[in-house]
Order: sequence, then C-alpha cells, then structure tokens
Amino acid sequence: MTIATDRAQNAAIDATSLIEARGLTKHYNGFSLHDVSFTVEEGEIVGFVGKNGAGKSTTIKALLGLIALDGGAADILGHDAATLARPSGAALKERIGVVFDTVSMPGHLTVSDVASMYARAFRTWDQRQFQTYLDRFDLPARKAIKDLSRGMGMKLSLACALSHDACLLVLDEATAGLDPMARDEVLDLLRAFVAEPGRAVFMSSHITTDLDKIADRVIGIDGGRIIFDRYKDEITDTMGVARCRVAEFEAIAASGIIPEHELRYLRHDYGIDVLVPDRFAFAENFPNVPCDRMTIDDYLTLTLKGGVR
Amino acid sequence: MKRAYLMELTVLKSYVRQLVGLGFFVAICICIGMKNIVSVPGILTMMLFMMSSMSAAAYDEQNNWGLFRLTMPVSRRDVVLARYGVILTLGVVGMLLGFVATALLMAVAGAVDLPGGLSGMLAFSPENVQAMVFASMFCMVVGATIASIVTPIYFRLGQTKATQFIPMIVVIVFICPFVVLGGSGMLDAGAVHLEGIMRVLADTLALIETPQGVAVFAVAALVFTLAVLGVSSAISLKLYERREL
Repeated sequence: MTIATDRAQNAAIDATSLIEARGLTKHYNGFSLHDVSFTVEEGEIVGFVGKNGAGKSTTIKALLGLIALDGGAADILGHDAATLARPSGAALKERIGVVFDTVSMPGHLTVSDVASMYARAFRTWDQRQFQTYLDRFDLPARKAIKDLSRGMGMKLSLACALSHDACLLVLDEATAGLDPMARDEVLDLLRAFVAEPGRAVFMSSHITTDLDKIADRVIGIDGGRIIFDRYKDEITDTMGVARCRVAEFEAIAASGIIPEHELRYLRHDYGIDVLVPDRFAFAENFPNVPCDRMTIDDYLTLTLKGGVR
Repeated sequence: MKRAYLMELTVLKSYVRQLVGLGFFVAICICIGMKNIVSVPGILTMMLFMMSSMSAAAYDEQNNWGLFRLTMPVSRRDVVLARYGVILTLGVVGMLLGFVATALLMAVAGAVDLPGGLSGMLAFSPENVQAMVFASMFCMVVGATIASIVTPIYFRLGQTKATQFIPMIVVIVFICPFVVLGGSGMLDAGAVHLEGIMRVLADTLALIETPQGVAVFAVAALVFTLAVLGVSSAISLKLYERREL
C-alpha cells in the first residue's frame, strides 16, 4: 500500500509542533504499531482515522505516555512524552486536555464530584468556565455519571477538558454518541479552541463527516502503520471519485492521467469507483465520466479497500 | 501525591459513608451477640482497612478510570502511594469513629438507666477500655495485613482478574502451611516445639492483659502495620510501573 506522505511539508515551517511522533513502535501479542510518525502543528485540528483495531488508541496512549514504547519517541508540547509518565510530568499534563470515548470516571460520581476531582488534580482548573459549559450543555450538577446519556457524558468530558486552560486537546472518539446538533455545537467549541494562539486538537473519529467539517489535516492508520497524512482540503477540494464503467476505467488507465501505481479503484455491482487526484483536470479529460467531490470517508474506503492497478 | 490522594478520597467519599453505616450495623449485631461493646472500634477498623483496598481497586476498573486517571497530573507512583495513604487514613478513621461511638454510648449508659440490662452492657470500665484498645490494634494488624496482600495483586492484575486469584493465594498463604505441618506429622514428631510455643503464647497473653502489655502491643501493632503497608507499597510500585493498562 502506498504511503501518502506528500503533504506540504514545508507549509508550516514556522509553526510550532505541539505533537511530534517519530517512529512510534509498540509490539503486542497479535498487533504491532509500526514506525508511526506525524506532527500536529499549532492552530491545527488533525483528524486520526482508521478501522477498529487499526492502532488509533495505541497511538494516543503512546503520545500520552501511558504505555512504554518498544521504539521511537514522541514530543508533546516540546517535551519527551515519556516525561508524562513521571511525577515531573504533572505540569505538562496540566496543559493537555484528554477525552476518551466514555466518561472515564466511576459511575457513582456526580457532575459536581467530577468538578471537585478536576479542581484537586489541576492547578489551572477554572470552575467558572466549567459552570459556563454546564449551563450551555444543560448538565445538572447533581446528576450521577451513570445516569447521564452517552451524549451528555461526552459533553461533560469535553467541558472538563476545556476548563483547565489546556493548549492541546487529545480526543478519542469524542463526538461519538452526540446528536447532530450537539456535534455541531462541539465542533464550534473546538474551532473556537484552536483559534487561540498556541493551541491544537488531535482527534480520532469514526464520524468522518465531523472531520470533513472541521479538520485541517487527516491522518489515516491501518494495521498499525500510517497510510496517509494529507491536508483535508486536498482531499475534499481537489480530489474526486470517478463513477465509471469498465470500458471507461480502461480508458482512464490507458490515458496516463493518473499514474498507474496511484490508480486506486473499487469495484461495485454497478460499476467502478476510481480515486482521482485532481477532479478538475480529470473533468477536462473525461467530461462524460461523472466525478464527485471526494469525502474523507470515500478516501479512507478507497485507500483501505481499493485495489491498485 | 497530594493530588492523587485527594482524588482517591473523592472517589471513595460516598462509599465510605455507606461502609461506616454497614460497619456500625455489623458491630451492633456482634455486640448484641457478645453482650459487650469492646469489639466496635475493631470491627470498623478491620472493615475499613479491607474494604477500602478492595473497593478502590474496583473503582479503578469502572469506565477505564484507572487508565484515564494517568492522563491527569498524577503519576503511577502518586497513584500507588495515594492508595496506601487512603487505606491507612480510612482504617484509622474507622478506629476513631468506633472509639467516639463507644465513648458516647458509655457516657449515655452512665447518665441514663437503659432498659434490658443495656446500661450494664455499655457501662464504662477500665477492663473494657483495655480490651477495646487491644481488639482495635489486633484488628488493625489483621486488616492492614489483608490489605497489604491484596493491594499489590490488584495493582498487578486489576480487580476483575485478581478476584480469580485471591482465593487461591489465601489458600496457599494461610491454609497450606497448617495442612502441611499437621499432615506431615512434624508437630507430633517434635520438630516444632509446640509446648514452647504455647508457653510463649501464654506469657504473651498474660502480659497483654496488663495495661503496660496493651500499650506495648499497641505500639508493636502500629509499627507492624506501618511496616507491612510500607513493604506492600514498595511491591505495588514495582508491579504497577510494569503493568500495561
């Protein structure tokens, strides 16, 4: 599988990396993370996509210093991520907001207990800010975590992560379980968060439509390896999916408009979808072949499931 | 470590309230059965030592809390030391609550004539206080020892997995030595000087029945408790550092 690492590497030459992963490697029985490298720059929202078991959560654990690595290293906010596992890493952790895919606290705790917990853990805890989010999300302070719906729970987790003056948010499936309106509300919060200088968001998500709306860059992982790392606009604004028949597919392949080793396609009962790197150039050459705008979901599907000619 | 300690107390706060209530209920039942209140502080002490260790480990597994906690500004070392700090704190709080409750009951029994012979049962006497101190310190030793055995296992395996292994470990540590000693005929063959042991035991018990003896026992129990928790925490630190969460 071709690894697409052709993002504009120098575009952010002056930007500061809030996350820099260099060759992260971790071996488990039956699964390995292989040489995972990427960066998250200041002001970016980076989406992290892949199938279940592809290595997203393992990568996030490695970035947060939760697992010992077998190889490679990561820098978070300019410090070695391994520092996070030590008592000396407490100050660094204060600046990282983390949200997992559930409210990761014992279920009997109430919303106000959660606030107490954060107030005790984070010196930078802003109770007034947290209260603002509670009011905004309609979260009752006396309700126990176990009685919150999944969506309410995720809102609570986000409210916590946004109330201790973090400059980096690491979100693992944070928008899962939210209704569409709540998701939009959360995405607006994330946009507002990165608008402040010195901040960034790294979020894994299965809901790629969220990333279509918000991400600056998308990183794909499969089988523990990074399979692409592209600017979202490159995918959604430049690329396309050509919906063609077999004869058209052969013509496209023969034309050389798409280099043969990059010609990714997916056969369906009704035709063939072809990944088009530049849909405008393609439309000029094949005006009769419909070519739709590419979504992150299409790109992921074609990259993971598509064949290479 | 202070942050982890306060976080742990926040998690256990509501459970401790229930546990103290349950402890008093159990203590009352035992007191009625024994027609004596000397066991109240001891029961509360032992229950809080044992149950705080077990329930804290259970909460670690709820909603992935044990993993998520490490994304907050605490290290694994902080978590382990805080856990032992909380076990010791709650055990001592249980003992103090027991003493306060029995002191109040003794005061009431001294001031008001209670029905059904209760005044006699609850009456203050130096012997009762001495027995209460001894029972409490003994229960502290037992509770701290059990907490010291199970806590490293919980840190290494997690509560769910540890629950499968703890019965086996209890059998190996507490039952097998006696079965081996008894079954092998070593006791009858004189390999173990049973008479000598019994004599030392009788002397010790005679000493403990004196106020000085109880004071010595209390100090020894406290030193033992701190030592066993200290050794256990050192083991837990090593085990938890290596655990893949």
